[in-house]
Amino acid sequence: MLITLSHINKIYTTGEVAVHALDDLNIEIEQGEFVAIIGQSGSGKTTLLDIVGCLSYPTNGDYWLNGAHINNLPDSELTTIRNRQIGFIFQTFHLLPRKSALENVQLPLMYAGATRTQQHDRAAEVLTMVGLQDRLNHHSNQLSGGQQQRVAIARALANRPALLLADEPTGNLDSQSGNEILLIFEELHRQNQTIIIITHDPLIAQRADRRITLLDGRVVTDEFTEPRAQAVLQGI
Amino acid sequence: MLGAIFRDSLKNLSSNLLRSGLTMLGVIIGVASVIAMMAIVEGGQVWLVSSIERLGTNLLFVWKKRLTVEEKRMFAGRNLQLRYDDALAIRERFPELQVAPIIEIDGQVKAGERDYSGRITGTSQEYGEIRNFFPGKGRFLTTADLHEWRRSVVLGKTIAEVLFGTQSPIGKEIKIFMGVKKGGKDKQQEETNKQKGEKNEKEIVGEYRFVVIGVMQPKGEVYGQDYDEKIFIPATTLLRYFKGNNKIGQMIIHVPDRNRMDEFTQKLHQFLVQRHDGVDDIRIRNQGEFLSAVEQTLWTFRIVLGGIAIVALLVGGIGIMNIMLVTVTERTREIGLRKAIGARREDILLQFLIESTTISVIGGCVGIVLGIFAAYGFGNLVAESMPGGGDWGAVIKPTAIAIAFVFAVAVGIGFGLFPAIKASKLDPAEALRYQ
Repeated sequence: MLITLSHINKIYTTGEVAVHALDDLNIEIEQGEFVAIIGQSGSGKTTLLDIVGCLSYPTNGDYWLNGAHINNLPDSELTTIRNRQIGFIFQTFHLLPRKSALENVQLPLMYAGATRTQQHDRAAEVLTMVGLQDRLNHHSNQLSGGQQQRVAIARALANRPALLLADEPTGNLDSQSGNEILLIFEELHRQNQTIIIITHDPLIAQRADRRITLLDGRVVTDEFTEPRAQAVLQGI
Repeated sequence: MLGAIFRDSLKNLSSNLLRSGLTMLGVIIGVASVIAMMAIVEGGQVWLVSSIERLGTNLLFVWKKRLTVEEKRMFAGRNLQLRYDDALAIRERFPELQVAPIIEIDGQVKAGERDYSGRITGTSQEYGEIRNFFPGKGRFLTTADLHEWRRSVVLGKTIAEVLFGTQSPIGKEIKIFMGVKKGGKDKQQEETNKQKGEKNEKEIVGEYRFVVIGVMQPKGEVYGQDYDEKIFIPATTLLRYFKGNNKIGQMIIHVPDRNRMDEFTQKLHQFLVQRHDGVDDIRIRNQGEFLSAVEQTLWTFRIVLGGIAIVALLVGGIGIMNIMLVTVTERTREIGLRKAIGARREDILLQFLIESTTISVIGGCVGIVLGIFAAYGFGNLVAESMPGGGDWGAVIKPTAIAIAFVFAVAVGIGFGLFPAIKASKLDPAEALRYQ
């Protein structure tokens, strides 16, 4: 099991009011799954992303990622896990301005301690994978939204993470660019990359193998598309 | 990775040149003032020491001490006062020392129709060498001038020009009057002097012919005394013709070895007290004391000016902190992203610390250059506007530059630390979604 979330609670306290963002949540995700997490705003999607992405700790409950018991690890080790095991993709791309595509993709490699040559070679490699081999030295303001998101995907893939975590990756894109991004995800999925997409758009969720719907911090539905469902039924 | 962070910080600084420049300005002004002020004080020291040493080195000054009325009554009849024979006795007892007695009176010199009033100095042949002051034309006083009470006179350069213009005064005759002829303003002065109970020497008016034997080299003004307006005659002649006693005002004594100054101060004191029938009525000052007094004054200046400069630098540091806090806030999302993709706390800390230090280092370098210009500018200003200040140049020591630079870097790190810590502690999840 790549991800095990067991009885996860997350409570935010702002002043007098305590908000129960996640309420006794249990999810298991296997290596190679392509999962969509669907929910209205306020359903706890973002909180779940933060916890799965090791950006914050659950209030209580247990989280295992690739065998590591995350909620017992100190902040510095969470940083390493984010760097090596998780590739983030955001709605607003989050590319650094005044930096080229190559430099943006090099960042996680730099924090992982790669040499400059290694950084350059690997960044060029992943940018080629997402079809940007001709845009290596373009700055983000010289790239279209779709291209920027592809740079972000390349950055997420740079350290060969166990998990790709995408938060509304097509939210700021037109439908054609959005589709291109989803095609990349599908291709990565064929290569056995574990992907979690967080979205409120059912059409996008349709592209995943598995859809988990959240409401008020709880899982309300957890459904598989045909091939996977059959595989589960057949006990494979 | 450090190189990458450094390039990033340069890029960030150059992306907002106006802001970076204004932030640096504080450091620039601070460092420049540290450099300039230290250079000016150092220059002042060099100037003061050289102006003291321009009049000779390794000198001891002997004066008579002013006695109280009570002491005078107590010691009546004893051998008091500094006398010419004290000088001769010292010369005999300590042959390694050079002794120049000094007696000064107000007088007038006259050559034809031109005259001049000023101080007339009676001294010995040693004076020129001791004070590092030599004749440009003719010769200085000699032993023979003193032994034979010759009426020889050596003129300061200005006086020679006033009396003789472009003509050579050597061998010419001049008249010397003692004091000023009675009448007018000076009479009033005499009255006051009389009231004070002092014997007024100006009452005696003598007039004697002297032969000019030399003209001194130009020396200029030192400590408010214009050495080009001095008139030298043999001490013996002055005592015999103008004073009628053998009291001298002062002795200047040259010690051959700097390390024996204190030893001779003590020996001379003992020797003179003995000669004065055991009465301690003399005072010996060491030239080194003047130097250390100057040194002390300069330290006061160093501390005051250095303090001002450091305050300027601190204000610059506050400017850095201010702008770094703004930068951290502006780049909250970037910090969140960096943390999300694997930047550790220390990576973020280092990034902002390097940025603030880069500001202070660049500001420091510009400040050093500016400070050097300011110091030389001030040096020139002093040279032009201050009489005798021509040698007060700015002296820039490598240590001053090093101190200023180290302070600048320390300010960059010190004041950058708080914003950097703040940045490193940001919560990645919140920072990512900061609007």
